[in-house]
Amino acid sequence: MKCMIDGREIEVEPGTSIILAAQRLGIRIPHFCWHPDLSVDGNCRMCVVEIEGSSKPQTACSTMVTDGMVVHTDSPQVRKARRATLELLLVNHPIDCPVCDQAGECYLQDQYMEHGLHDARISLDEKVRKRKVVDLGPIVLDAERCVLCSRCIRFEREVTGTNQLGFVGRGDHTEIAAFDNRPISHNYAGNLADVCPVGALLSRDFRFRMRVWFLESTPSVCPGCSTGCNIFIDHRDGEIHRLRPRRNVSVNRSWMCDLGRALYKGAGAPSRLLGARLRSEDDRGMIPVGEALDLLSSRLRDAGEDVAFLASPQATNEDLFAFQSLCDAVSGMLDFRVDDPQDRMAVLEDGVLLRADRNPNTRGCLELGLGRTGVDAIMSACRAGRVKALLLQGPELLRTPAAGIFLEKVPFVAVMAENDEPALARAHLVLPAAAWTENEGTFVNFARRVQRIERAIEPPGESRPRWRLASDLLARLSRPLDATTAWDVFRLASRSTAAFSGLEHVSIGESGLDLDAIKES
Amino acid sequence: MSSRVFTVNRNVHPGFWPIIIGHWETLKNLFRTLVLRQASTIQYPEQKRDVSRRYRGIHILAARADGTPKCVACFLCATVCPAECIHIEAGERPERTIEKYPVRFEIDLLRCVYCGFCVDACPEEAILMSRENDLVGTSREELIIDRDRLMRRAGLAEHGVGYRPTDHDLRRPVRIEAIEDMKNRYGLNGPRPRR
Ligand code: SF4
Ligand code: SF4
Ligand code: SF4
Ligand code: SF4
Repeated sequence: MKCMIDGREIEVEPGTSIILAAQRLGIRIPHFCWHPDLSVDGNCRMCVVEIEGSSKPQTACSTMVTDGMVVHTDSPQVRKARRATLELLLVNHPIDCPVCDQAGECYLQDQYMEHGLHDARISLDEKVRKRKVVDLGPIVLDAERCVLCSRCIRFEREVTGTNQLGFVGRGDHTEIAAFDNRPISHNYAGNLADVCPVGALLSRDFRFRMRVWFLESTPSVCPGCSTGCNIFIDHRDGEIHRLRPRRNVSVNRSWMCDLGRALYKGAGAPSRLLGARLRSEDDRGMIPVGEALDLLSSRLRDAGEDVAFLASPQATNEDLFAFQSLCDAVSGMLDFRVDDPQDRMAVLEDGVLLRADRNPNTRGCLELGLGRTGVDAIMSACRAGRVKALLLQGPELLRTPAAGIFLEKVPFVAVMAENDEPALARAHLVLPAAAWTENEGTFVNFARRVQRIERAIEPPGESRPRWRLASDLLARLSRPLDATTAWDVFRLASRSTAAFSGLEHVSIGESGLDLDAIKES
Repeated sequence: MSSRVFTVNRNVHPGFWPIIIGHWETLKNLFRTLVLRQASTIQYPEQKRDVSRRYRGIHILAARADGTPKCVACFLCATVCPAECIHIEAGERPERTIEKYPVRFEIDLLRCVYCGFCVDACPEEAILMSRENDLVGTSREELIIDRDRLMRRAGLAEHGVGYRPTDHDLRRPVRIEAIEDMKNRYGLNGPRPRR
């Protein structure tokens, strides 16, 4: 089906709305209530366009393209209608921009600057006043700023099914309200702040933290569970201020959960390890990482084949591959499972996004073939005193209650960790690892989709990515890894791993690749 | 505007005449300064130069009637500042009408280029400039001036308020704690300059 938009022709499938067809041509039709992942409501009237043969402007979100349709998105008639709509939306608007966290990414601001620029015809005291700073738990509601677009209501109805928000009142006095002012109780509240085109629903956590125009956004993937929601890490001067979802229709659409949203806090926590720590008889002293690696490599060399390696499903494929190469260099025992996370990998916990396996890369561990020796075999070898050195890629094992019994007879336990915690006292040597926000690499989600994470900020202190810790150790064992970046490691991994063969980080792209689909094609 | 070109003959003929002109100038100025007391230098720091009403000196943060900062921590000044010398941390005001205010507000006066953009950008007329221009300190830290010092600046009554967004605003009263303070302490005209 063919249509003309602003003099350009485009072919679309039947049932495509004008707003989507225009988007494909790179023409942005202004709107408030339309959202690509919610149902169409057509209430804001901002997206009106002129269609030849129809006397009045039509809404682009709810009008489907018909064959031979000729559309004008910027004619004088359209501009006049838009201005009128915008002026009406702003009649009772408080213009709180200086204290409003939405400023900078606000549809009202942008569209006023682009299409409005009118002078107010209403004085401040004539405006209808509504409730401000209403505490809805993770969300702060300001009813005066609301443009009554009903996006939040549709989100609650269609995505979470919780129906906690609705309109009350009539006419000028219509306002958005939560039933009984109860706090938003589900795990997806943060999306309400994203979905609201203005500053009516704002995040409690991000409140007054930073002006959005200072933030730099790095595309990444949430490490909170095996779904692997695509996200942006918003940061400024080496400090992360928030995570927000990045649209990916095949994974998370436009959403992410609140558990994931809070994960940026770990990377900036005061408990971050800035150097290596060695447990010795007299004191538990910090030592330079280089010295720690020297010590660990000599321990590995001395232990011969009596070494065991436990990888972490929190690590990227690159981290895992380097770790695996380290294990191969000394022919030790290797596995990754701590309480069998792959059993629950695909289990949806709440019917929306969150999955029961809280590791982002269990699938990657399986693809790389890290489940070799079996955890039980390694543990019984530890208990029998047959393991001279144990290297852990993450602190998961140390956190389990039984760790004390297993590790009793192991003379040397080394662990890579980001944050200090009491469980680390069980290890003899702690190596400071970079957090996911400071590392680049790939994760494979539960559905075998390989996705890229990128480095947003620099690792603090002496901490470094896990793959680099492993490759530094390999260099000391005179088996250097031929890699200077994480992407070099991925190239090495793609040579020896069937699932990744022929892949490069460029071909993965920003929205990831489905490994099953590649195999078929 | 068209420019005109002069040709100057630099091969001055030697002789006594230029020397006499030179000395005449010197003696004339000597007489003016010593006898007529018309020197153009001033006795700084006892004496201060009179600067324009729109002089861009050290900043002031204005206060509300209850003494809290007028600033709402919108960060516009920090955004526009070409020297990136304004550091703000926002917090929630206890009452819920204004919502936001700066818990920290610092200006690094050593980085500031005194352009006055911050004053122009402020939607609240919360940041203004004084006519104070003698910036002295014994360490760098001392010259990073914080919120409370910006709101209550000694020396303000002496120098007065300088640059404000428009001339029209110069006629409007500005509520600045420092000025109130100084008025109470020294009377309307501020402390007398030391002699
Ligand atoms: S919602 Fe937008 S226009 Fe309204 S106060 Fe906030 S930033 Fe300003
Ligand atoms: S609160 Fe926001 S999303 Fe909800 S109706 Fe109002 S403007 Fe739309
Ligand atoms: S006067 Fe200019 S340089 Fe100084 S703080 Fe203001 S904007 Fe920055
Ligand atoms: S521009 Fe004015 S209100 Fe905004 S932060 Fe600066 S001083 Fe405060």
